Amino acid sequence: MAAIGRVSALANLRSFAQLHNFRSTVCRVAASSVLKNGCCSAQIVRSRHFSCFKGVSEIQVFRPSAIQGVRHYAELPDLTFSQIEERVLGVLKLFDKVSPDKLSVECHFLNDLGLDSLDVVEIIMAVEDEFALEIPDNHAEKLFTPKDLVEYIADKTETFE
Amino acid sequence: MAATMANATRATVLKLYREILRESKKFTGYNYREYALRRTKVAFRENKSLTDEAKIKALIQEAEENLQIIKRQVVLSQLYKDPSLVIEGENAGQR
Repeated sequence: MAAIGRVSALANLRSFAQLHNFRSTVCRVAASSVLKNGCCSAQIVRSRHFSCFKGVSEIQVFRPSAIQGVRHYAELPDLTFSQIEERVLGVLKLFDKVSPDKLSVECHFLNDLGLDSLDVVEIIMAVEDEFALEIPDNHAEKLFTPKDLVEYIADKTETFE
Repeated sequence: MAATMANATRATVLKLYREILRESKKFTGYNYREYALRRTKVAFRENKSLTDEAKIKALIQEAEENLQIIKRQVVLSQLYKDPSLVIEGENAGQR
């Protein structure tokens, strides 16, 4: 009797998944644990997620939204222009060839600060590390002032304020 | 023609510089990492005002070979990690 119950539970789950093209990972995990562990875990899974799940006819009652609500995403708080500017200037101040008193948002790396192209490469890399993003070479060669950098980063991180 | 040639070389050199620095940062050992970074910076600055094209080509070739060496050694350093040094601070060994 127990064996029959197990088989029917399996069949139900399978047909359910196939019929409804169910995409939730929760369901997939549940299904595979049922397949692996058999009846025992099927009981648990049923009681947790499929309490209304007794036959194909009752599938209509089942609400996927209840499961999809489980997903969570973590995200950093949104940056602002002033924060980006502060961090870019902070990176530049730490760079030993830049004198902090000459530094301003508008100054040109090559013309005003007297750096060479190798220094600019190092600055770009330091900024990449600071903001955890990658600046491709063809973009990097157009960035020559802290203002350019701030605008580029704001664009990449989708900052609008 | 000479100008485009010079631009192309410039771009190649900057790209190499960037790649070598990027790869050198991946060394797990503090001493190897810092040495590679320092050596790269010094070597590129040493030759930054060269104009002899044959010499530049030879040096670019050398840099490319060294980049390959660094890539191999980085993998090795990641396979056989040494314990991190005291000077690396609290977050040591997480790079």
